Amino acid sequence: MSTSRILWLTSGILLAWLEPWAGWNQALAESLSGLEIMERVEANDRAASDSAFNRMQLSSCRYGVKDNRITCAERPRIKSLESVGKNYGPEGKDTRSVTIVLEPAIERGVGMLTYAYDDSEKDNETWLYLSALGRVKRIASSNSDDDSEPASVFGSEFTTEDTDTGKLDEYSIRILEETTISGRDVWKIEMIPGEEQARKSRYSKVNYYVDKERFVTLRAEMFDQYDTEIKRLLAERVEQVNGVWLARSLTMMNLVSNRLSNMAFLEMYTGVEVEDDFLTTRTLTDVPFRETELENLRLQLD
Amino acid sequence: MEKFLLRLSDTFARTPNAVLKFKSLVFSGLLVLTALMVLGIYTRTELDMTNESFLNQTDPAMLALNEFRRQFGSDDSVMLVYRAKDDDVFSRNSLLAIQGLTNDLRYWEQLDPANYPESLRGVEVDFAELTHIRRVQSIANLRIQRNEGDTLLSNRLVPAVIPESDHALADIRARALEVEDNLLAFYSADARFGAVMIKTDFGAKPVENYVPAVDVSDVILDDGFVSFDTFSAAESFDPGFDASAEIQEVSFETVNMMDYTAFHVATKAIYQKYSNQFEFYPVGNPPLMEFMLDILSQMQVLGLLMILIFGLLLYILFRSFSAVIWPLVTIALSMTWTWGLTVWFGVTISQMVSLTVLLVFAVGIADCVHVMSGYFSFRRQGKEHHEALSLSYGKTGLAIMITTITTMTGVLALSTSNLQPLQVFGYMSALGVFLAFVFTLVLLPILLDLWHPGAPNAADASLADRIGLRWNSLPTGSKLLIAAVFLAIIFTVLDPWVGAYIALVTLLTYIVVNRQAAILSTIPYLVAHRPWTIMAVFATTFIVCAYGLTQIRIDTNISELTREGSEIRIAYETVDENMAGAMSMMIMIDTKTTDGLYNPQLMQAIDTLQTCINEQYSDRVTRTHSLANIVKDTYQVMSDDNPAYYRVPNDAQMISQLLYLFNSANPEDRRALVSDDYSRSHISLNIYNAGSYEYQQFFTEVSEDIEEVFSPLREEFPELEVYPTGSMALMMRMADEIANSQFSSFSLAFVVISLIMIVTLGSLQGGLLAMVPNLIPALLSFGLMGLLGVPLDSDTILIAPLIIGIAVDDTIHFMTHYRMELIKTGSVSKSLRSTITDVGQAVLFTTMVLGLGFALLSFSDYLGMAKMGFFGSAAIIVALLCDLFLIPAMIMIFKPTFGVKDADTTISFREKLA
Repeated sequence: MSTSRILWLTSGILLAWLEPWAGWNQALAESLSGLEIMERVEANDRAASDSAFNRMQLSSCRYGVKDNRITCAERPRIKSLESVGKNYGPEGKDTRSVTIVLEPAIERGVGMLTYAYDDSEKDNETWLYLSALGRVKRIASSNSDDDSEPASVFGSEFTTEDTDTGKLDEYSIRILEETTISGRDVWKIEMIPGEEQARKSRYSKVNYYVDKERFVTLRAEMFDQYDTEIKRLLAERVEQVNGVWLARSLTMMNLVSNRLSNMAFLEMYTGVEVEDDFLTTRTLTDVPFRETELENLRLQLD
Repeated sequence: MEKFLLRLSDTFARTPNAVLKFKSLVFSGLLVLTALMVLGIYTRTELDMTNESFLNQTDPAMLALNEFRRQFGSDDSVMLVYRAKDDDVFSRNSLLAIQGLTNDLRYWEQLDPANYPESLRGVEVDFAELTHIRRVQSIANLRIQRNEGDTLLSNRLVPAVIPESDHALADIRARALEVEDNLLAFYSADARFGAVMIKTDFGAKPVENYVPAVDVSDVILDDGFVSFDTFSAAESFDPGFDASAEIQEVSFETVNMMDYTAFHVATKAIYQKYSNQFEFYPVGNPPLMEFMLDILSQMQVLGLLMILIFGLLLYILFRSFSAVIWPLVTIALSMTWTWGLTVWFGVTISQMVSLTVLLVFAVGIADCVHVMSGYFSFRRQGKEHHEALSLSYGKTGLAIMITTITTMTGVLALSTSNLQPLQVFGYMSALGVFLAFVFTLVLLPILLDLWHPGAPNAADASLADRIGLRWNSLPTGSKLLIAAVFLAIIFTVLDPWVGAYIALVTLLTYIVVNRQAAILSTIPYLVAHRPWTIMAVFATTFIVCAYGLTQIRIDTNISELTREGSEIRIAYETVDENMAGAMSMMIMIDTKTTDGLYNPQLMQAIDTLQTCINEQYSDRVTRTHSLANIVKDTYQVMSDDNPAYYRVPNDAQMISQLLYLFNSANPEDRRALVSDDYSRSHISLNIYNAGSYEYQQFFTEVSEDIEEVFSPLREEFPELEVYPTGSMALMMRMADEIANSQFSSFSLAFVVISLIMIVTLGSLQGGLLAMVPNLIPALLSFGLMGLLGVPLDSDTILIAPLIIGIAVDDTIHFMTHYRMELIKTGSVSKSLRSTITDVGQAVLFTTMVLGLGFALLSFSDYLGMAKMGFFGSAAIIVALLCDLFLIPAMIMIFKPTFGVKDADTTISFREKLA
């Protein structure tokens, strides 16, 4: 694989680091259609990703089963990140976000700043900062690609496709059944990508299990072109943060390679006041500036 | 010993009539058991046709490849190379066409099958097969990375809307040719050739009934993932792990020939649409397997034709249909039982079963022809049916038994092989040869009793007899005219080589049918007249062939196993000449240390090895790629594109950060190059197609280079392992193993057969003497290959011993019969004369049938088969010459008495000829 490919693949990653399985606490509405339910989940996601400050940890490992529990069978590889994001544009559909690596130590200080535009005519921009080199590089890639493949989220089992939101009208969505997951009532909703969407997707269909009361996805099953389930998502620790129901622990299992990645939101705040200045390359290179600004964000929350 | 042999001969003489007494019992017993065998064949046959079934799973090469695959996945892909008919892959028309083709392959679901052929070359076109496509890359969707100031651009080489202006097109071309990474992989340096890389999931698709272990209803996620403290100041938490947790190992579906073929046919249906603009040269497993499947169906046709030729020759030579039907029935039954018994024992059968069929066929024919030749000649001498049967079995039984033992020894020697299918082949073939012997002894008399030709000169002369008579009554002029017309027809209708083959078969058959008696009775005098000349001729041949044998090259080359000008060979040659080479090889690097690959010295060693390989082996390797390339590329890119930074930095943290983006790539892609914990990676090499011999040398040399480059790192990484692997390496290992197996089984068989000959022929001298004509056919066919520069490939080397085994059977018949005659008559001259006339006919017939039948295989498009057809029949024919000329000459010169006391060694032919 050439570097160009990698750069291109990765430039889209930060668009979607915010997880979509959160939802506003909504009154239970039995008569909703599949599309309406997913729109509700989606609307919450957008609200949750605006002016947000996050600290998350990705733990990846080969997993096995011991005493009926799914657990890492080797020491997990841990990556922890800090990120801040804010929505822009008339409808709030453009995003700017910055992500800094805290762990592993060898990558500490590596950062990425991304400006993503809803307008497909406008190229997305990403700045990459390597602390060992002390340099920032701007990476531009076209936004309108029909052949963009889902990229991994920081090398984990999560891909941009799993975390991306939007374009619900390009799927055919239907409620398969009403059931329960861990004692909670859920809708089992099937989403099949339409022709256009199928071109970009690794999945032939995804089944979501959405909490009827909280509009949070508790489980999702991803199927490949042979209609075999290849990945499974389990959401746990659903908590209300700043009025939003969120799953703090998301575990994506790759059922073929028997590897999993757990995405844990150690800190997660929405609706914070983010200075526009913070979402510039200065945050990448100027460590004292960054630390001061982050401290200010934390102060808002206490 | 002599008495024992005579008693044994007597027993064989009594066998047919003994069997006939219990005819109905034997017959019905055979019928019931045969039904049981057929049942077994239909219900219990398990075929494993994969190449991997050849090597034991614990073989080091297999372990290495499995290790590699577990880590890095399947590398089965199709490289669809094309030549633009306007000689420019960057012309507007070419770009439009490649864009169309790339989209068709990527979004095949949207194509309407009605616009495509329903089948190609008899294989149904099923677009659903294209589900195996994982990724399609070509000029049309390649991305090119460019530095502009502090910005790195990563845009498509060819825009979605293909520009019309020549200037814009020239710009695309210029930009493309600048990128060394893509050169030769996606387009040739002169831009005449391009390539579409189609990655598939062959070999990496989980088995159909795979159920993830986590599906069990009460399995839940461990608390470790959720029990983190949201207000802790710590930057991370430890989810914990349990090394004793059971990891489910996924098994992947094995891919068979049909899967590859069906896939390739569907791909072909799509790309053919673009043949106005492009000429296509597909390489990779799918097109190769399509070719192999063609070969298989061609083999079926050739097999049928071979049986037809066997039948026709048997009919003409014996002039009775019973001589055609009964051997075929006997052989069919032997084969049914062999197959049936094998599967009842629960043994998995490989593609080598076809060789067993071939061997049983040949041995069965030889057994039956010897018996029938005796029987028919006794009948023609006016003997009654039962007496003729008894005499014939008495004459041939012992020799058939000995040939059965020697052939069984030869194939059983293969059971010492490390290759499992070879072991199965050894046991199964030995069983088949044994059963052919048993059925010749037990079934053939009953069959001949059911239906046999009448006494000679009876009114019911067969059709062949009547045609023969009519032909002989024609005037010479008419005969010549008919012959001329016949030749004209076959040469106009058929290919010249096929025509020549048919003409040769016809001529030989004509001579043998009309002149056999004369030939056989002249030979002793001819030999007696010039025994030393004959010896000299054979000795010269022996020496020349022995020299040839030293020149033989054991070499398997995929493309050279096909005929010159064949589609697949042209494809491989084109790819080698214009693109990066059709083959690949991997060098596995296992540091056995987490994050070991971040070590700068190690990364530099990888880079050094690549440089060394690129410089030293530029005639074999076109490009190498590894993690080091990614590090160097990124280092330069991140350093304002300054070429001074195109190197591996001397700092682990820097390496780790340069790989940051790569680490964030799709995990499947990343895992294809490096393991999750950065302990293992590999260097991939694009190499030109070559033979196993050359590869083997290359492997050895590269292994030495590896040792040199990596040995200084042993201190830091005591468990470091660096070794070449890949399917290529596996194939080499297989070819090597086959060659070794064959060599040892050959040597073993030679020793055991010598011992058997010494015992049967009653003296050391006689036994060793008999081994000379036994060796010559083998020596000749291998020596000839050496002299003609034809490499001995792994397929030919597998089959060669069989053919040679068949060839020496006649020699054994000859020697055994001679000794029995010598015991009876005590006279060398008498024994020799009766042996030449009695056994000579049978030997002549089996040589005709088998030699000419096998020669048909020379027409196979698969050279592995064709070589064995040609050199095999050459061996069989040379064996005949040895039997008729060399053995008599040796007997006349050395006068061996084979332990017969007071034998009369006067040679009485010389005077008669003079």
